[in-house]
Amino acid sequence: MTGSRRPLVLIVDDSSHVTAPLQLLFEETGRRVAIAGSVAAAVRACEAERPDLMLLDLTLPDGDGLSVLTALAGSAALPPVTVALTGHDDARTVQRCRAAGCRDVLLKPVPVRELLRRAAEWLAEQAPAAERQA
Amino acid sequence: MTSRTDSSAAESLNPVASMESHLAAVEHAYQSALREIAELNARDTLKTQFLANISHDLRTPLTAIITHAEILRDGILGPLSGRQQDSIAGIIGGGRRLLEMVGEILTYARGAANQLELAPVEVSIGEVIDQVRRLNESLVARKQLNLDVQIDADTPKVVADREKLAHVLGNLLGNAIDFTPAGGRVWVHACPHFENRSTVLVEVGDSGIGIAADHHELVFQEFAQVDASASRQHHGTGLGLTIARRLVELHGGRIWLDSELGRGSRFFFTIPTQPPAP
Repeated sequence: MTGSRRPLVLIVDDSSHVTAPLQLLFEETGRRVAIAGSVAAAVRACEAERPDLMLLDLTLPDGDGLSVLTALAGSAALPPVTVALTGHDDARTVQRCRAAGCRDVLLKPVPVRELLRRAAEWLAEQAPAAERQA
Repeated sequence: MTSRTDSSAAESLNPVASMESHLAAVEHAYQSALREIAELNARDTLKTQFLANISHDLRTPLTAIITHAEILRDGILGPLSGRQQDSIAGIIGGGRRLLEMVGEILTYARGAANQLELAPVEVSIGEVIDQVRRLNESLVARKQLNLDVQIDADTPKVVADREKLAHVLGNLLGNAIDFTPAGGRVWVHACPHFENRSTVLVEVGDSGIGIAADHHELVFQEFAQVDASASRQHHGTGLGLTIARRLVELHGGRIWLDSELGRGSRFFFTIPTQPPAP
């Protein structure tokens, strides 16, 4: 991120029940939001503009959500922070997400206050000045 | 070709033929029972899979309801009046409760399909009890219950799945609070097991309505609530104790109760300091 550009959050989920409230939440708190409903759309979105934070569902219509990370491995389009937002937080899922490079694994629905607090921390790691302006 | 009457008459005259006919009938009944068991098992698997799928699918619209309501509650879209805040709090409270129930059904379905796995770490039982006690503080205060927690100093740490232990304790303490009238007593006590000190014994007790002896096994069965009048007052999935037993047994422990109708209940469970080898 450079200058005062607002941070970009990419939400990858195929349900508007999930994406709509999160889009509202992040836009109302000063971030830009992109939405992708599939693995392919998420890869395209990252290549169009690297998000500062990617919130990633694991079950997508065209495959395992973690394959977005595999597809972007080593590329400049790989988001600096990816967090899995899932319906399962069993030990195996958490381990799989961590191994794939997810910073954290959160169970949906994440309480809004907690999500905002954590998102601020993740975004501030990359560009403190920009996030402070958000 | 002989008629049926002729054949029966012949068998009665020939004991070997009669025995062979009887064995054939038994074999036929046995094979038929095996087919029926296989079909029932297949249907049970389908039912369990359906429960898992529907539970997972229910979470998605619940996510929308709860997240939208929390956005409103936190004033992100503008300030709310006091009554609007109360209304939103009701939506969030109801949504979170429903989510817990969906989670219980999902845990049950995974347990029934042997899909539950442990993520063992070193755990202080006292810390888990304290975490569950804090989560229940407001309920305890609302019912004006006296909650007493005692952790013996020599209680060893255990290698266990922290979240699953919290789930067991949450279910037991939740029941104790639910089934104890206002002003009653609820307690949790952890200590080394008196027979085997490499096992921790936990007791969750209450001075509530109690359970008749002939229902002690029934309460651990899925979807069971022992008293229809009680179940009307204490809404739930009826899976809490079934799940608690499965999670305790997954750790290599045991769960049981000591209770009499009208004289309160004491639930006990053990957790070995080391989980069973996978």
